[in-house]
Parts: sequence; structure tokens; C-alpha cells
Amino acid sequence: MILDPSRYVAPGMAGPQGSKPVRGNIYLPVPAQVREVHRENDLVTTFVLEFDDPLVNQEFSFEPGQFMMVSMPHCGEAPISFSSPPGRGGGFALTVRRAGRLTSAMHRLRPGDTIGVRGPYGRPFPMTELAGSSLLFVAGGIGLAPLRSVIDFCLDHRSDYGEITLLYGCRTPADICFADDLERWSRAGVRCLCTVDEADDSWSGRVGLVTELLQDVQVEADSWRALVCGPGIMIHFVLSRLLEMGLPRDHLFTTLERHMKCGVGICGHCFLEEKLICREGPVFSLAELDDTRNL
Amino acid sequence: MLENFVLEKDHLLPLLRKLGRQYRLVAPVRNRHGDTLFTEIHDLDRVEIDLEHQPQSSLKPFFFPQVEVLSMYGLDHDTSSGATWYSFYPQLPENRPTVYFGVRSCDMMAVMYTDMIFLQSSEYDVYYARHRENAIFITIGCNQPFSNCFCNATRSGPFLEHGFDIQLTDIGDRFFVETGRARGVQLRRQWAYFFRDATEDDRRAQFQAALEARGLFNRLVHVDLVTRILARQEEPEAIFAELSARCQDCGGCAYICPTCTCFTIHDQALDEDRGERLRTWDACTFSGFTRMAGGHNPVDPDRQRVRKRFLHKLLHDVEHHGRTSCMGCGRCVDMCFGGVDILRFIEMVSENETEHEETP
Amino acid sequence: MTNSINEIEQAQVILVSGSNTTRTHPQVARRFYRAVDRGAKLIVIDPRRTRLARHAHIHLRIRPGTDIALLNGMMRSIIDENLIDDLFIQMRTENYTTMRDMLFGIDLAQAAAITGVPEKTIRRAARIYAQAQRSVICYCLGVTQHIAGTGNVQSYANLAMLTGHVEQEFTGVDPLRGQNNVQGACDMGALPGVLPGYQSVFDDAVREKFARVWGVELPATPGLTLLDMTHEAGGGATGLPQAAPAIRALYVTGENPLLSEPSLNGVKKAFHQYDFLVVSDIFLSETARVADVVFPAASFAEKTGTITSSERRVQLMRKAIEPVGDSRPDDWIVMELARRMGHAMDYTSPAEVMEEICMVTPIYGGMYHDRLDREWGVQWPCGGRNMEGTQYLHKYSFARGRGRFEPAAHVEPAEVPDSDYPFALITGRFYFQYHTGTMTRRTPILERESGQPLLEMHPDDGRRLGLRPGSVVTVASRRGRSRFVVELTDRVAPGNLFTSFHFAEAPVNELTIDASDPVARCPEYKVCAVRLEEVEPC
Repeated sequence: MILDPSRYVAPGMAGPQGSKPVRGNIYLPVPAQVREVHRENDLVTTFVLEFDDPLVNQEFSFEPGQFMMVSMPHCGEAPISFSSPPGRGGGFALTVRRAGRLTSAMHRLRPGDTIGVRGPYGRPFPMTELAGSSLLFVAGGIGLAPLRSVIDFCLDHRSDYGEITLLYGCRTPADICFADDLERWSRAGVRCLCTVDEADDSWSGRVGLVTELLQDVQVEADSWRALVCGPGIMIHFVLSRLLEMGLPRDHLFTTLERHMKCGVGICGHCFLEEKLICREGPVFSLAELDDTRNL
Repeated sequence: MLENFVLEKDHLLPLLRKLGRQYRLVAPVRNRHGDTLFTEIHDLDRVEIDLEHQPQSSLKPFFFPQVEVLSMYGLDHDTSSGATWYSFYPQLPENRPTVYFGVRSCDMMAVMYTDMIFLQSSEYDVYYARHRENAIFITIGCNQPFSNCFCNATRSGPFLEHGFDIQLTDIGDRFFVETGRARGVQLRRQWAYFFRDATEDDRRAQFQAALEARGLFNRLVHVDLVTRILARQEEPEAIFAELSARCQDCGGCAYICPTCTCFTIHDQALDEDRGERLRTWDACTFSGFTRMAGGHNPVDPDRQRVRKRFLHKLLHDVEHHGRTSCMGCGRCVDMCFGGVDILRFIEMVSENETEHEETP
Repeated sequence: MTNSINEIEQAQVILVSGSNTTRTHPQVARRFYRAVDRGAKLIVIDPRRTRLARHAHIHLRIRPGTDIALLNGMMRSIIDENLIDDLFIQMRTENYTTMRDMLFGIDLAQAAAITGVPEKTIRRAARIYAQAQRSVICYCLGVTQHIAGTGNVQSYANLAMLTGHVEQEFTGVDPLRGQNNVQGACDMGALPGVLPGYQSVFDDAVREKFARVWGVELPATPGLTLLDMTHEAGGGATGLPQAAPAIRALYVTGENPLLSEPSLNGVKKAFHQYDFLVVSDIFLSETARVADVVFPAASFAEKTGTITSSERRVQLMRKAIEPVGDSRPDDWIVMELARRMGHAMDYTSPAEVMEEICMVTPIYGGMYHDRLDREWGVQWPCGGRNMEGTQYLHKYSFARGRGRFEPAAHVEPAEVPDSDYPFALITGRFYFQYHTGTMTRRTPILERESGQPLLEMHPDDGRRLGLRPGSVVTVASRRGRSRFVVELTDRVAPGNLFTSFHFAEAPVNELTIDASDPVARCPEYKVCAVRLEEVEPC
């Protein structure tokens, strides 16, 4: 369900010019309250959010791979992927890396503050199509956020999916996000392999690019699907390697990041060749992408 | 079937006067500085409606203003908990019934294109819809194309076959009148006494004017050839690089273009706790158009700055909608500081092709 | 400009120096492009590899501040190859023998060593410039903002006179002026030694003429330059004649010296000494913030008046909207201030002010508003209502009679890099910001395009120092320090850095030097020595 802001009027407040919310205005954010704040590392924070209106909370639904347009006062809007799975009730989680003005402002949020959101937008991961397969997740840095939504969804529907393997690479140990989740997933039977590009004293794990972890994985072309998310250059190398390993293009999925403004395929910012990522993506199978060199 | 009538030129102004009472009237007006711009007319006797020159602006700003307030927002602070409440209040534009008079074919086609972008995409843009919903278009065919025009090559003029409410053709001392969509038919009926039925002579005169107009274009522009070349997926990288190096990042081409609809959304603070959420025209030639928050830009501005613009108009929209979204109005030719307008691109790509064909 | 902007299109050779024209004068650059499309040769003199330099047939990438050495080398080469215009020199100039004797002492190998441009390239550029019939020189602040600025300009004039490239259509020496009305401000006497129309304050007849019209006695001594006003009030460090009285009050209009003046530390000291500061601006600038009184001024759209462009064209700008809020047009503010200070200044409209200008300013003799409104502006000199404007200058003779060759010798910049401060910092402008950003930094799309104080650095230097694009560095000079965001680009040569003064959060003028040209008193913004201190990797 796409949020319909007409359902939502702030209690006891009239607009500055006595205006009323109007049905069907796609650009109108609705307030959501910050319930929890989890600091993942110095730059990355996860926010658990919830609508004030219980009815909206109840009706709101989304799918893994989709995103919300988030508003912060005086900062405009930015697209943020869901990092929690749908269907658990009690709101949704967004994980944010501090990069620009809006995300920096988000890092100052405390529980109880409100932000504006609209969505969900975009084409999700094809969870139904993926059912029955074993899944290989490959993530770089903050790229694990949208895949976290998928992994938890799979764990919530464990019997629908086969083996689950996660390969996770970060620049340094300090860049690792979701450390608690990694442990939780391991305990739940997900094979988790982590690596960093540059180690420090605290790190006893693997050092190297995430592509090198692929050497440790056996995947069957028929029964495996791979989901990849991270920086554009990493996506390119991982997908190329997976193709070499024999996975067909339509078994490979990635989710792309772009500068987005409207979220609904009108404003034109998020183009990739003839496609608009917000509408035709952000999730794509490699069969739909001609060239991954310039993601 | 289209119905045909005749309106004496002497009766145009009286007709507009009648329409002006019922509708807001917008027409190309020549101001005292010699600029012809689509302008809202308050007093017909004090302005000069100009059908001799190409309007320097299109109708785009009427339906999709350069800056538009989407909503107001406000912050309320709960002093006890320290939490902040953040809410939005939409600001919808008015939708006054408006007659747009003297619209050229290219600009009418452009409105049909922007309708598709804003209204027929998966989502419905209520702001555009409000501006657009009570609009009536009285178009005029171009007997004499203007100096940079190439609508014959983009199949968007000089006369229209559909899309208008009423189309006029100048046939000497009178206009040949075609009614198209329902609002035009109704408007003609409401003011029936201004119009008489067209005779065979009128029809012949109209046919002749339209035929002659096709032969009067200054420029021979190979739009079809270029869309075919681009459809072969052979990217003219060197041409993009050369033109990108000359582009001066002013965004003027996109701003003046009747079919460029890209915009950005940003906030304008009014004070600490209040502000406006605005949408503003944007241009794909700006580096910040695609640059992401962390600084990464998937487009290399030095070599690809103009690439999306030309491919969007001449390839992607052909794939999506079956026709180019360049309407051949030629406005970007005069606008561009660097000489990297779409005409130059089309010429460079088609020359390139001819050279290839000539070399064995 | 001696020429008109449109004439540039017909030039056969365009020599551009110290101008990032595509970024700072796009309307002029568009003529460069057209000329090149028609076959003109483009020569660019610039330490930076600007977009225009990339487009040029020859890019003379000089070491900052070595124009004179380069030009003397070019002129020596022109004499060697006998490409001078004898007739022009004989008929129209003076002091050529001194010039020639000086040039005979020039060694091209040495010029190459000083400038860093190969001898062969200097000769080739000289040949191309001299041989064409219609060669134009366009220069900008890269030429003037040096301690040798006057010598630089004179050298370009020498080059043009040596080859006879003035006095005609399509060929001349064209300084590109900055703001839309900096030319008009100078024309109206916003210079220390002249009254409107460049009429000297030393001339008794001139002073008497103005005294009669204005009803006040006028001082016979020149005023202070901006640099002298803003550094150590009343001179001192900057070498002002000691006779000048200390400044006690300052009225700043449309300027933001607390961000734009060099060596800001000195400026702050000077501002601290004033008893009274008045600032008139459309926004609360850094300078307005510390003022005792701020006059809210109307913007360009809210007032009528004229602006004079680089090509001496006086154009009428018409009010489009009424002043917003309590803001007032500049003429209202000045008149009201004068009235309250006891001097009735009573004009009913900007057109009436212009009528007086026409009366007392010979070069503006025909610039009546109604005429400017009808025509598309008029180029000065224009002596009267019924006279034509002037498309290009020096048609039959130079303003002073014969053009005088003024030989100049190379002068090293006031501060060159050394082992303590190993980088040469060049300052200039970015495309999407305007000056101290008073207006542009309030414009979201412009901020999006260029919202960070970028420091351009050559990738080799970046690699050597372990910097990445986006690294934050503190840059220090002998005068102060400021923090910038690194951009690695080959636009700058190794050893050079480039940034701009648009950003109040990174005031580059904390670093710049207040050494200035002894004649024009224009500070050497274009080069000072700096080092990198703290580095925060991104």
C-alpha cells in the first residue's frame, strides 16, 4: 500500500494557510516517529520508525528491496532502503550512512522525534520467484542494509528457501554494519563470511576484496540465486565473477543506488540509460542490465 | 471527422474579447522591448498579440512552473519531552479555466508529451493536473516556419492533425478553422455566430497553405536518420565528448525546451521552524543532477554531460513512446552558449554516417 | 574593451590571458567558440589548464606571475622574425627605440626558463599572433591581480602596438570586466583620482565644473584605494603616504570586504579601528554583520538604472518588481542620507540623475534614459543625444595622442614558494558561485552544483601526500589558515593549488597577501605561498 497522506492530519494543527491535505498527492510526506536508534558504526545508524496513526501502521506494508523518500526539516528528501523485513509489525527500519546534509541531520535524531516519509517505492526483490532456491548474498559496506531486509524475510519464511550464504566486505573493520545481526544469522544457520580491505589490530578475520570470498563458495547454476549490493564498482566485479562461475544472468540480482528526487518516475534524476531506477528498479536482474561498468 | 469553419480576421479580436470574459486568456504578446512571450492578457486593447514571431518561451511554465511550492512544512517542539513534531501542508495551485491562444504545433505537441510524463506515468502529478485540467488550446499552423525550426523533421508541425481544441490556418483575410477535441467543438458552438462553414475554396486555400509551408523550411535536418543510427546502439562517444567539452553547464537548453520535464525538490527555510518545499526545474547537464550524496557521479561530466539529453530525446523516448521528444522548435539553438544544441548533434551524427557510407 | 564583444567573432587569432572565460564570461566565450568554428586560432595564456585552454590551439601554461617574461619573449621573437608593423609604429606610437633596445636584451632561453614554456612554443604563439591581420587580446584578473599588474597590462599593449593590432575593427586589447557594472562604477569615478568620466581631480577646471553642479567644494587630492581603506585604517603597512588621515568611519555599499579583501587578518584589524561602520546590502553579509548600521538595499530587479558592460555599452535595467519589505533602492538611500546630513540631494528619478551625468561627463554625453530604452544600449564615448556610440576605440588616434611603448621587466611575485611554504596558491572563481556568495549561496541549485570550498590540486601532489578527492586539508600561509576539501585535477600544474573566495566557512583571503601593484594598488590575489598542515583523510 502506498501511503495516502489524506488519512493523516497532525493532531490539533491547521496548516499555515488553512490548507487541507488532499487525496492523492504523491509529493506529500507523512510524519513517522523515531522509536529506536541503533548506532551501527561511526557513520551508519539504523532507525526504527513507526507512524503515529495506528491505522496507518496497520495498513502500511512494503517488500524487501523497496525504499522510502525521507524528509528532514530544511534538508529536502533522500531515498533510503528498508533494512528490516516486512510483516513483523511494529514499524520499519531504515539504515543510513552519513554522507550529505540530510543524512547528517538524521544522525542527530533521538527517539520521539518525527521525520517525514513517503513510499514505499520501487520494484522489490522477487521473493516469490526466489522461493525454492538457495541464496548467495554479497554485500559491500552499507550495501548490506537492503539485503538485511531480504535475509530476515527469508529467515521468517525459512522453509521457502534453501541454503543461505552471506559474503560481506568492508573497507576497514570500523566500517562493518549490523555486527549483531551477523552473529544472529550465523546462529540461525546462515553461512556468513566477512572480509575487510584494510585490517587493523582488532581484526583477526580475512583481508581482501569481497570477490576473493567467492573462491570459498560452491554454487549450482540451477538451484542458486545471488543478490548483490554495494558500491557500483563492487557490484560490477562481483557480478562478472558470478557469471564466470556459471550463474545465468537471470539468477543474478542487484539493487542500484542513484540520486532520486520524486521516487515515482517523473523527475528524471535516477536514470540508467533508458530506465528510471526508482520505477523500473532499484532491483534488477542482470538479464535486464546491458552493462554493469557504470553503475 | 473534423468540422471546418472560417473566421474572418476582423472578427478575431471580438471573439477573443468574448472569450476573455469567460476564461483567463494567454497568448503570444510582443512587449515593448521586442520580446514575444506567452503572456496572460488582462486588457486586449493594451497589448499586441504577435502571430508574426515565434514566441521565445513555450507553454511549459504555465503547466510546470520554474519554481512551484509543493507544500509548507512546520516544526513543533514538545518542551517537556524535547521531541519535535514535523508536518506538511500541501499548497495546490489554482485551476482557472484558461484559453491558450496562438499556440504553435510544436508547443501543442510538447504539451501532449508533458501530459504523458505527468499524468500517464504510474503516478499522477496533482500539481501539473491542476494547472492543466481547465485548459483550452486554440492553435495556429505555421505558414512560414521560423529560422531555426525543423518540426517537419520531427513530425510535430507545421500543422497539427490532432491534439488541438481549435486549429487556425491563416488563409489571407481569414482563418480556416478546424475543431478537434470536445472543448473546441463546444467553444465553436457557443460562439457559433463568429464562424461560417468552410467552402471548397477555403479548403483548397488551407491545403495549399499547408503544402507550401512544408517547402519553406530553412534547414534540412535528418532526425529520422539519426534516430535509426542511435537505435543501432552504436554510441557516438566522440561526438558526446566533443559537445560535452563545449557545454557551459548553464542548463539553458533544458529550461527553454518545451519537453524537458526534469525537476528537483528542495526546501527553502522561511525561519527556523517553517519552510516551503519547492520543486524547481533541473537539467541533466548539471553535474549535481546525478551526483550522489557521497560524491560519486555515475555520469562523467567531461565526456557525457550532454549524452542523456540527446539520447533521451532521440532514442529513449522513441523506445518508450514511439516518437522523439524533440519537437523541432529550435529554441535551444539560439539559447546555447557553447553551440551544442540538438541541431548540431543531429548534424554531427548524420554527417558522421554519410562519411562512413562514402568510405568503402 | 577597445573592441565590441561581437567583433571577437570575426577575429582570426584570439589571445586570451588570465581569463577562465567559459566560466566567468560565458557570453564572451561563446564568441570565442564561434570564431574558432570559423577557423580562428585560439592561444590561451594561463597557469591552469582551464576548459578554454583545452580547447585552445596553443596553451602557454606559464608559471604564475610570469606574463611579462613571456610577452617580452614573444615580442623579441616577433622582432627577430621581422613581423612588426613598421608603419603603425612610425605613425601612431612613441618610445619605440627604448622598447626595441630593451627587447634586444631579452634572451628567449631565459624567458622559457622563467615562464616554464618551451622556447619553440613561445615563438610559434608569437608568429601566429603577429602574422594574422585581425588578432585580439582578451585578458582578465589573471593579468591584473599581480604586483606587476600594470607592467603586465602595458606589455599586452606593447605587443598589440608592435604588431599594429589596435585601431581597427576586430582587433584590439580587451580587458574583460567582472561584475555587470564594474565598468560603470569606474566610469562614474569610483576610483581614487578621478571624477566621473575619468576627469582628473587635479584639474581645476574639472573640479570647478562639478562644484558648480553639486554646490560643494571638491578636494584636489585623490582619495584612498580600497586596499588602503581596508588595511590598517589610514595606511602604514601598505605604504600609503603618511599625510593621509586615519579613517574613522566607513560606508560600504554592495561590497563584502571581510571576505573579499586580501590578507583578511589585516582587514579585521582595520575594521576594528573604525568608530562607525555602515553597510548597505541586499543580504546580511559577513561585513554587514559587524556594522553599526545596515541599510537594506533593493536588488537589481527592484530598481531602475543603468549598467555599463565590458564593451562600454550603457544599458538600461528596468525595475521589474517593487522593493520587497523595507528595502530601498540605492539612489533613495544615498539621497536620504545626504539630506539628513544637511545636503539636499533632490532627484525625482534615476533618469534625472542620468541627465546630470550626461551634462558633466563628456564620454556619457548622450546617455539619456529615453534613448537607452529605445536603442539596445549605447557604447561610450558618446558626446551627445544625436551622436552615435563608439563601437571600437582608438580609431584615428589613442586617447593620449600617440600610443607610448612602456617597456617592462619581469618581476617575481611578492611571495614565491619555498621549502617552508612549497605550494603556489592561485585564487579565482568557480562557475556556480558569485564572489562572496552573498546571493548565490542562497540558491539551492547553485549550492548543489558547487557548495563546497574545493581546493584544486594536481593528482601527483595528491598521491605524494596520500590525499583522496574529498580529503579535508588545512592550508596555511604566513598570514593565516583555512580548511578546504581536496579535488584532484590536472587543471592545476603540480606545485600549484587553486581555490576561490566564495566560501565564508573557508575564507581563502586569510591566506592571500596584501602586496599590491605600486601604480594600480591592485593586490596580488593570484599567487601566494602556502603549505598543507592538517590532513583529514575522507
